[in-house]
Amino acid sequence: MGAPFDLSFVFSFLPKLLTTLSTTLLIVACSLLAGVIVGFIIALPRLYKVPVLKTLAEVYISFFRGTPILIQLFLFYYGLPEVLKLVNVDMTRTPVLVFVILTYGLHTGAFMSEMIRASVTAVDKGQVEAAYATGMTSYQAFTRIVLPQALGIAIPVFSNLVIALLKDTSLAFTLGVMEMTGKAQTLGSVTQHFIETYIALALIYLVISFTIEKLLLVAEHRLLRHEAQGSPVKRKFSLQKKASYRHIIADMGPGKGGGA
Amino acid sequence: MKLDPSFIWTAFLQILGAIPTTLYITVVSVLAGFVIGIIVALIRIYKVPVLYPIAVGYVTFIRGTPMLTHLLLIYFGLPMIIDGLAVQFGWSFRSVSIPMIGFAYISFSITAGAYMSEVVRSGLLAVDRGQIEAAHSIGMSTPQALRRIVFPQALAASLPNLSNSVIGMLHGSTLAFTVSVVDINAQAQIVASTNWKFFEAYLAAALIFWGLTFLIERVTALIEKRINLYNRGGVA
Repeated sequence: MGAPFDLSFVFSFLPKLLTTLSTTLLIVACSLLAGVIVGFIIALPRLYKVPVLKTLAEVYISFFRGTPILIQLFLFYYGLPEVLKLVNVDMTRTPVLVFVILTYGLHTGAFMSEMIRASVTAVDKGQVEAAYATGMTSYQAFTRIVLPQALGIAIPVFSNLVIALLKDTSLAFTLGVMEMTGKAQTLGSVTQHFIETYIALALIYLVISFTIEKLLLVAEHRLLRHEAQGSPVKRKFSLQKKASYRHIIADMGPGKGGGA
Repeated sequence: MKLDPSFIWTAFLQILGAIPTTLYITVVSVLAGFVIGIIVALIRIYKVPVLYPIAVGYVTFIRGTPMLTHLLLIYFGLPMIIDGLAVQFGWSFRSVSIPMIGFAYISFSITAGAYMSEVVRSGLLAVDRGQIEAAHSIGMSTPQALRRIVFPQALAASLPNLSNSVIGMLHGSTLAFTVSVVDINAQAQIVASTNWKFFEAYLAAALIFWGLTFLIERVTALIEKRINLYNRGGVA
């Protein structure tokens, strides 16, 4: 199978794969943005218990969490044009990337909404009551009191979701998008050096996920710095503080265990 | 190409036959992954000298790279290693005799192992240290304490994560089509391209996966209720 192993190919493939990194990151960034917006829209009816919308949101989340992303990709790519044809919208000229971003956006949106819901409920109810007591409206209480705290709690899960999304983009090649995995497969079949390309590919993914993880860890520390105030032994406190909300995170469950 | 709702049912029936393959892949990778996970988690918790950095590297590498990459690496890399060794030692065994699904089993087990090790580790760490000290104080050996006291509690603590992992592997098994294993997803592709009805076939596949996921969630909820019986709190 293929040519004999040659380590030097790994290094020569790295720059070639990096040229398609922008496509991968574009998919991640756009779907993340879409996912956060969708997530908010989906989470609000559940948080405020809006009658019919709440059920719809639950079905939406259940569907997107209950089916593999690969199936969703195919479903949207082949299904959406046909459904839209019924209302006379022509989608034959739409670039594939649009379908890919749409699917990942909707998929991530479902997980995002669970994350948002869990972290908002994790904020002590007394906080909202205190905000009302000082005369804030519910909108003010949400944006000024609840949201900043929820953000800090949500970051670890958010970081998991971003990394999962990054790795899910490796499936976009099935629809013919030339992102990193697609590029790696073409490189592999052109040169017959499959393992070397995939090792290079794995290395790039590894470095990116590592970077994202570290960046979001910094963000987490910044967002939760209000919890560490007035503590002379910062390091010790930060350990304690972690324990105080980690158990909430463990109960949240929107993590994508193993996920494709 | 027109939408044909009745074909969803036809496709549904045809795809049903591929469910066992998907379940095999899921069950094998989850079970093998669980065993790997326990070993790796124990190595990390007890900080076993040489093995510790290897375990950490394994978990970081697997969790930092997509599952598809693992599958492709194993699919193209393993035959190279096996054939190389076979030539060296004069074995009659060659990589061609490994069935396609074998690659899926091996690669997904390795993937699941890394994720499972984190599940097991967090579960073990969730058990109060005092529990194992109490077990030691009444004369249990460490393996006994682990098996009788710590593991049952850790299992209860990590059940939600475990269920997430199983669902993740179920969804991940759709990747097996890249090494031409006919699972639910591949069967849907076959049905779709032979009848030229893509939307209907994938919808049917989605419904099947949805159902399976729902089933796993329900079963976990039942087990969780059962396994947390000890944890009622107050005066039993």
